[in-house]
Amino acid sequence: MKTFENNPSASLRSRLFAGAAMAMGLLALSAGTASAAANCIKGDRKAPYTVGWANIYSVPTWMKQTEGTIAAEVEELKKAGLVKDLMITDAQGNAQTQIQHIQSMIDANVDAIVVIAGSSNALDRVISDACDKGIAIVNFDSLVNTDKVTAKINTDSGEWGAGAAKWLSDQLGGKGKIIVMNGPAGISVSDDRRKGAQPVLDANPDLKIITETNTEYNAAPAQEAMTSLLFANPEIDGVLSLGGAISAGSIMAFDRQGREQVPVTGENARQFLELWKEKGLKGWATMQPNWLGALSVYTAVQALEGKDVPAFIKVPLPVIDDSTIDSYLARADQFPADGYIYSDYDQALFDKLLAQK
Amino acid sequence: MSAVSSSGWLYGAIQRRRNRGLGGLYLVVAAFLILYAVLFPGILSVGGFSKFTQNWFPLALVTMAQALLMLNGGITLAIGPLVSLGAVIAATTMEGVFGVPGGIVAVAFTGLAIGAVIGAIVAHLRLPAIIVTLAGSFIITGVALILLPRPGGFIPDWLSNMLAGHTPVAFLLLVVVLLAWKAFLATPLGLGIYAAGDNPVGAFRSGVPVERAKIVAFALSGLLAALAGLFVAAQTGSGDPVIGTPFTLNSIAAAVLGGVGFLGGKGTMRGAICGSLLLSVMINVMFFLGFPPVAQYIAQGLIIVGAVAVPELLKSWRAKR
Repeated sequence: MKTFENNPSASLRSRLFAGAAMAMGLLALSAGTASAAANCIKGDRKAPYTVGWANIYSVPTWMKQTEGTIAAEVEELKKAGLVKDLMITDAQGNAQTQIQHIQSMIDANVDAIVVIAGSSNALDRVISDACDKGIAIVNFDSLVNTDKVTAKINTDSGEWGAGAAKWLSDQLGGKGKIIVMNGPAGISVSDDRRKGAQPVLDANPDLKIITETNTEYNAAPAQEAMTSLLFANPEIDGVLSLGGAISAGSIMAFDRQGREQVPVTGENARQFLELWKEKGLKGWATMQPNWLGALSVYTAVQALEGKDVPAFIKVPLPVIDDSTIDSYLARADQFPADGYIYSDYDQALFDKLLAQK
Repeated sequence: MSAVSSSGWLYGAIQRRRNRGLGGLYLVVAAFLILYAVLFPGILSVGGFSKFTQNWFPLALVTMAQALLMLNGGITLAIGPLVSLGAVIAATTMEGVFGVPGGIVAVAFTGLAIGAVIGAIVAHLRLPAIIVTLAGSFIITGVALILLPRPGGFIPDWLSNMLAGHTPVAFLLLVVVLLAWKAFLATPLGLGIYAAGDNPVGAFRSGVPVERAKIVAFALSGLLAALAGLFVAAQTGSGDPVIGTPFTLNSIAAAVLGGVGFLGGKGTMRGAICGSLLLSVMINVMFFLGFPPVAQYIAQGLIIVGAVAVPELLKSWRAKR
């Protein structure tokens, strides 16, 4: 993993790769295959590029880690001579400010903009303005409506919910009493994950949902919610927890009450993974990989180099189970205590994702 | 600025006195505008100027909406939700039989009506404006979410391009609104808003219809906030039921930055407008200076404190001389 290993071959690899990419770009240009260019790309921008990262809100740990992968990727691309500068903005949760930031990026004539949208609609016009200017726009995690972007990158929240429900149902033999712990109400990710779980739950009618909770994606509120549920329910066979550090809160609640741990799903929060191992329980986790940020920068630069990139890049959900958890925990100290231990990534993975149609 | 052409000696003297407290703010804003133009000369082109003023325009409108009430001795926490509701109504009605004119009328009427109702409750039931508008903000947010549960709706492209395209229409509209405010201040009712804010008892004894002035102030404030929402809808090309939320706090910040006091009667609309301009230009200047986000949080706070402190320091320096 190039972000954290001091692997001398990584930079060499990327440099070789960059050379190849540049050659390919030249080939594409000389062959005059303008039609192969990605969306928004006009071919008039030359390396090294300036990249703008228009964040909606930089404070949450997940965002900080994501920004870390973006900065690391930019360093790699700088070494390869493809990027010269990274401009970072934080709209402090205000979609209107994010519009202003993206407008400023257009004014500053950046070559690429990477964005997590603060509103699915509000950025449409300013983003299509940027697209008209030949700026490579890569949108990830929280997506915009307009299709006038170079690429959109995300995982599938529905599959997340389905995968978690499937694993829990298998653990319990399709029978038992479970509690569903969701993220905040009215948030599309939280809704979509829950919706994805429903067909699996329908297919296993003996899996009874005792109750559901909605909390922030933090351990503390989840622990509080689970503690009161434990008092009310002497028999719980499993916990279907759908993201963040909610699972960690649930495990701590079980622990405090002296209740026996039950199978639990979750996300790659370091807190959860460590408790999972420590308590020796049965667990399953997936993740919204932080390196979606790095992938977005890489995709934007590839598009600027004249490579055709897919308009939508669906990133398969990496899964953590009892067989792989040790490999994640081995790297735990490289991540913040309240952070997310994301899966390894490298240039080869990115190229594979970009090659899919 | 202070040398008003005609209107006699008294008017000029009063304007000079009112402008004096703002001298420091004017300096700070001018410095930021010059810095911005140096960093990004494109602002001096028609396109650049248009885009910049478009991003400022809704904040300027809601700051006026807030300042109007603060001058009257009130305050409103319903600005953000009204912006959202204005945007939602615009995005849901413009498809209807009455088209764009119908949508504009609907937005304007809603803003006026909600403002008037809140104003009537505050004036006649003698309830604190901060509580009534807080309650109102929940109700308005709820209504906006019912009308449009998730971002969407429709604004015709030509309207978006006219209001928020590559021409300074938004800026011209702001000038028109400011001239209208100036004209309104020349009427007895307009003056009454100030007078009732400064000294309600005195104003009442001098024959100012204090309660009516309050209701009118709330209604106009609601109108401005809803129209800001209409503009946001045009600018983004759609409605979003929660897009206005940050405007509440920003409108108060801009008004206070512009020297409008919380206790009523103190402050000027031009000061408030300058305050909103500073908040808006600050974001762009920090971007072009390449401040990292963490530094932006700190710089933002320092600039706001500085902009309030500079006029005070100038005042005490002048007094000492």
